[in-house]
Amino acid sequence: MTFNRRRSLTGLLFLAPYAISFVTFIVLPIIVAAYLSVMQFDLTAKGSIHYVGLQNFKEAWADQYFWSGIKATLSFVILMVPSMLVFALGTAIGLNAMSRGRNAVRALLFLPGLLNVAVTAILWGWFYDGTFGLFNFLLKKVGIGEVHWLSEKALAMPSIVVMTLWWTMGGTAIVLLAALQQIPRHIIEAAALDGAGKWAMFRKIVFPLLTPVLLFVVITNTIGAFQVFGQPFLLTKGGPELATRGLVQYIYETAFNNYRMGYGAAMSWMLFAIIAVFALLQYRLLRRSVA
Amino acid sequence: MKRLAEGLKNGLMTFLGLVFLSPIVLMVFTSMKPESEVLNPESAIPKHWTLGNFQHVLGWSEEAPFVRWLLNSVFVSTSTTLLVLTFSSMAAYAITRLKVPGGGVFLGIIVGAMMIPGQLFLVPVYLLLSKLHWLDTPAALIVPATAGGFGVFMLSQFMRSVPESLEEAAILDGCTTLGVFANVVLPLCGPAVATLGIFTFIGSWNDFLGPLVFMDSVRDYTLPVGIALYQASYYTQYGLTLATAVLGTVPLIIVFLLFQRYIVESMSSTGLKD
Repeated sequence: MTFNRRRSLTGLLFLAPYAISFVTFIVLPIIVAAYLSVMQFDLTAKGSIHYVGLQNFKEAWADQYFWSGIKATLSFVILMVPSMLVFALGTAIGLNAMSRGRNAVRALLFLPGLLNVAVTAILWGWFYDGTFGLFNFLLKKVGIGEVHWLSEKALAMPSIVVMTLWWTMGGTAIVLLAALQQIPRHIIEAAALDGAGKWAMFRKIVFPLLTPVLLFVVITNTIGAFQVFGQPFLLTKGGPELATRGLVQYIYETAFNNYRMGYGAAMSWMLFAIIAVFALLQYRLLRRSVA
Repeated sequence: MKRLAEGLKNGLMTFLGLVFLSPIVLMVFTSMKPESEVLNPESAIPKHWTLGNFQHVLGWSEEAPFVRWLLNSVFVSTSTTLLVLTFSSMAAYAITRLKVPGGGVFLGIIVGAMMIPGQLFLVPVYLLLSKLHWLDTPAALIVPATAGGFGVFMLSQFMRSVPESLEEAAILDGCTTLGVFANVVLPLCGPAVATLGIFTFIGSWNDFLGPLVFMDSVRDYTLPVGIALYQASYYTQYGLTLATAVLGTVPLIIVFLLFQRYIVESMSSTGLKD
């Protein structure tokens, strides 16, 4: 047996534990969910499960709440992903440039990510509160009147984005910092000896070496943003006027409040299709920017 | 001039860190205020310090066995993290380095599956767990969590940047595949593995939907669901609610500080730095 053959056989053994788990808890449920999406399966009427073809998908297409959910989700994604990327990359570069206290600051930035979504929402619900809120209290001190952070349509989603940035930025910055630190120092030193300036160094050396991890960060953040649920659900309940009720919340309410499993599954598939298109586009664009 | 720029950089980043910290400090202070002071932001620091909120929460009761929830959470999150790290790192190594046939395609499928909204899995996984008779057992929270693609994707991206020459040198020195994996590749990816460990532990610790749907009896809840149950009945008492939040977060902070040190150690021992 050749060296490479033996290596890839060992590889199969290495892959097996994860692959088995993946097939059991991801692939199998996907098949079941696909089955559900073409069925009418309402838990309220017992025993009522029957084939309805594409009826669920057609219903979503004509459902105004489905579209308002997409609109709210997209506004979160568009606000969240670019600001996260700029903020986290800037922070990672800043951390990397620190000569003292880097680990302490890294820990501080990451700390908010340790809170669970319920705690985060309770805390920021108090900050944003119109009358008792901390932010309005501080604004009043400097002579600015009340701002309705969560009850004004134009402000509600940006407020949720700010809270989410505080909550999750540290994690993304840490991944980017780890990637920055994994760049072998001798490459940087060699470039510096060749007289590369700071910007040229970043563009020609750091950025290309960072691209696999940057790609990972952009894609996972986009996927996460499309699935936003907990923050608006707990902070605004999806209001005002459905401005923050994303698609996932609508799916959740359809499946677990109205017990329409089939319709919920069908809309989940549609959300998946949207996410897949976005992720694929990002993958293509970023890959090309390096090549 | 150079020292000034350096000091400015350090100062700016430290300030950013403190800004991020301040809401948590406020949370801790508020949990130590008597209820009459809680919603008064005039003084962030309590006028009358009290641990009464914590005493109330930690007092054992059948309806809210806080210590029991804490132990459940520790067990579930630790087991999940160990399993995820083992499975993911082995799979990532097989895909990126052992060149398993179809490995690249498999990675694509894993990443593709990550895009599927989580709620889609909830009902099918529930049906599956009930067939396995795993409902209301810790296995229901631990085993399905190992299927997520995040760890495999992340470690694959990091393993790609480990110089292949180091691995070849170890093989020439007579190292077995398992030896290369455990003694060369894993340590080199130390920061990434530690980071994944932190993420996995936190994700498991803070998982809300899983225990809510898969656990039936109050005794078997994990902390977040327990806290939520508690909040639902004490929501008007902000001090008590924040005390549970503080107690539920402390174990995570301990784990984070432990792992954070490991990140530093592993980086200085790889020889990649300096």
